[in-house]
Amino acid sequence: MQTVTIKVNGETFTESVPPRLLLVDFLRERLALTGTHVGCTHEGVCGACTVHLDGDAVKSCLMLAVQADGHDITTVEGLAKGEELSALQRAFREEHGLQCGFCTPGILMNMTDFLKHNPNPTDDEIRQGLIGNLCRCTGYVNIIRAVQQASQVMQGEAP
Amino acid sequence: MFPANIEHYSRPATIDEALATSARFEDGEAMFIAGGQSLMQAMKSRMTRPRCLIDLQAIAELRGICPDANALSIGAMTRYATIAADERLTGYFAALRDAASHVGDRQVRNRGTIGGSCCWNYVASCMPAVVLALGAEMQLRAVGGASRSVAAEDFLIAPLETARAEHEILLGLRFQAPAGRGGSAYQKWGLVKDALPVVGVCVAVTLDAAGRCASARVGLAGLSAGAHRATAAEQALLGSTGDAAAIAKAFDAAATAADVQGDKWADMAYRQNLIRTLGQAVATSAFARAAGSKE
Ligand SMILES: Cc1cc2nc3c(=O)[nH]c(=O)nc-3n(C[C@H](O)[C@@H](O)[C@@H](O)COP(=O)(O)OP(=O)(O)OC[C@H]3O[C@@H](n4cnc5c(N)ncnc54)[C@H](O)[C@@H]3O)c2cc1C
Ligand code: FES
Ligand code: FES
Repeated sequence: MQTVTIKVNGETFTESVPPRLLLVDFLRERLALTGTHVGCTHEGVCGACTVHLDGDAVKSCLMLAVQADGHDITTVEGLAKGEELSALQRAFREEHGLQCGFCTPGILMNMTDFLKHNPNPTDDEIRQGLIGNLCRCTGYVNIIRAVQQASQVMQGEAP
Repeated sequence: MFPANIEHYSRPATIDEALATSARFEDGEAMFIAGGQSLMQAMKSRMTRPRCLIDLQAIAELRGICPDANALSIGAMTRYATIAADERLTGYFAALRDAASHVGDRQVRNRGTIGGSCCWNYVASCMPAVVLALGAEMQLRAVGGASRSVAAEDFLIAPLETARAEHEILLGLRFQAPAGRGGSAYQKWGLVKDALPVVGVCVAVTLDAAGRCASARVGLAGLSAGAHRATAAEQALLGSTGDAAAIAKAFDAAATAADVQGDKWADMAYRQNLIRTLGQAVATSAFARAAGSKE
C-alpha cells in the first residue's frame, strides 16, 4: 500500500492505495465519482474514462492512482459550478449531443480541453479532436453541433 | 481489467536515482514507465507483470526539444503533443510533427512519449520509422553513469525488441542537422483515422546546390518486420530532382522489394499499393520542403 494525496475537483483526498489500482477505479470506487466511465477492457480506445490531469485530457484507465499523487484531477463532476452547468454541458443538452449518455462524460472532458486549445474550431477539427472517444448512439453529428454551439457561446462570453 | 500485483512504485526526480532503483531488482522485474500508453495495456492484459514500476515523469531533464545549428535533441520523455505543437520542427525535421500530430488521439498524445514509442518498438508504430529515416542517435545511460549512443537502426532490432539493455534508460534522441537543404515527411494509412499504421512511410532527403537529391533515407512502418529502411527506394531517389517519374520508380522498387504479408484487413497487393501511393505523396512533400516550401 502507498499513501497518495490527490486533488480531485478542487478537494484534496489522502488515501492508501495498492500501486496497481487504476486511476479510474480510484475515482469510481474510492471517491464514488462514478461519472467517469469504463468502456473497454485493456486497450484504452473508447475514451469514456477521460479526465483532466493538470488540465490535459488523458485516459484514466491508462494511469495508476499512484501516478496521480501530488497532481490535480478534474472529472466530469467538476465541470459545473454548483448547479450551473458549463457552456459545453448546456450545449450538449440543447443540441441533443447524447442519447444513452455512456460516452458523454469522456467527450465533455476531452472537448473542454480541446476548446481551450482551439476556441473557434471547424467541424473537421472537432471530428479530428473526437477520435479518442467512441459513441455508439449518436453518429456524432449532434455532438459536433453541440461543440460548435459551446464554442460560439464561450467566445461571446469571453471578455 | 487491472495489472497484476505491483510491489513497488516510485517516481524519482533524477536519472541516477531511477537507475539505482532499477538496479536493486533482478532482470525483468523492474520496468520504467513513461506515458504508459503501451505499457498500461500490456500490464492490464497481463502480458507483462513487473514487480517494480519506476515512473520517469518527474525527471525534468528527460523532457524538451532543443534545436541548434548542428543538431536537434529531443528528450525521451517529450510528449507527442509537445512535438506536434513545436513550430520550429520544419524542413528536415517536419516528419516528426507529421507523425506526432496523428498518433492515436488527443488523449494518447497528451501522455505518450517519443522515447516510450521507440523503446516499445511496436510492430505497427509511427515514430520508429521516422527516427530511422531521420537517422537518429539514441542516447542511453546505464547504472554507474556509463552513457552510450546507438544509431536508430541498430537500436530498433525487431518488433518489441531493442538494443536497450536491462536497467538502461533512454535519455533522448539526437538528430544531425543536414549540411544543405533538407526535407522530410511522414504519412500513414490505418483502419480508422489516426490508427496504428497498416502502412506508414517516412522520407527524408537532402539536396545539393543544383537541387539534386544528395541523400535519401526511407523508413517503412506497419509491415511484419517492424520499422525498417527501404533501401531500394533510397537508391532510386539519389541524384533525382524529385520529379514524379523518379519518385514513382522509387516506390515501385520499394513495394517490390518489401517483405509484405497480407492479413484479412489488408492483403499483400493492397499493402504494396499503400507503399506506392503513400511513398509518392510523402516523397513529393519531402522534396518540396527541402526546396523551401513551408507546407
Ligand atoms: C488508443 C491508442 C492509440 C494509439 N495509436 C498509435 C498510433 O497511431 N501510432 C503509434 O505509433 N502508436 C500508437 N499508440 C501507441 C503509443 O504511441 C505508445 O506506443 C507510446 O505512447 C509509448 O510511449 P509511452 O511514453 O506511453 O511509453 P510506455 O507505455 O510508458 O512505455 C513503453 C515501453 O518503453 C519503456 N520505456 C519508456 N520510456 C523509456 C525510457 N526513457 N528509457 C527506457 N525505457 C523506457 C517502458 O519500460 C515500456 O517497456 C496508441 C496507443 C493507444 C492507447
Ligand atoms: S475505459 Fe476505454 S479508454 Fe479508458
Ligand atoms: S450517447 Fe450512447 S454511446 Fe454516446
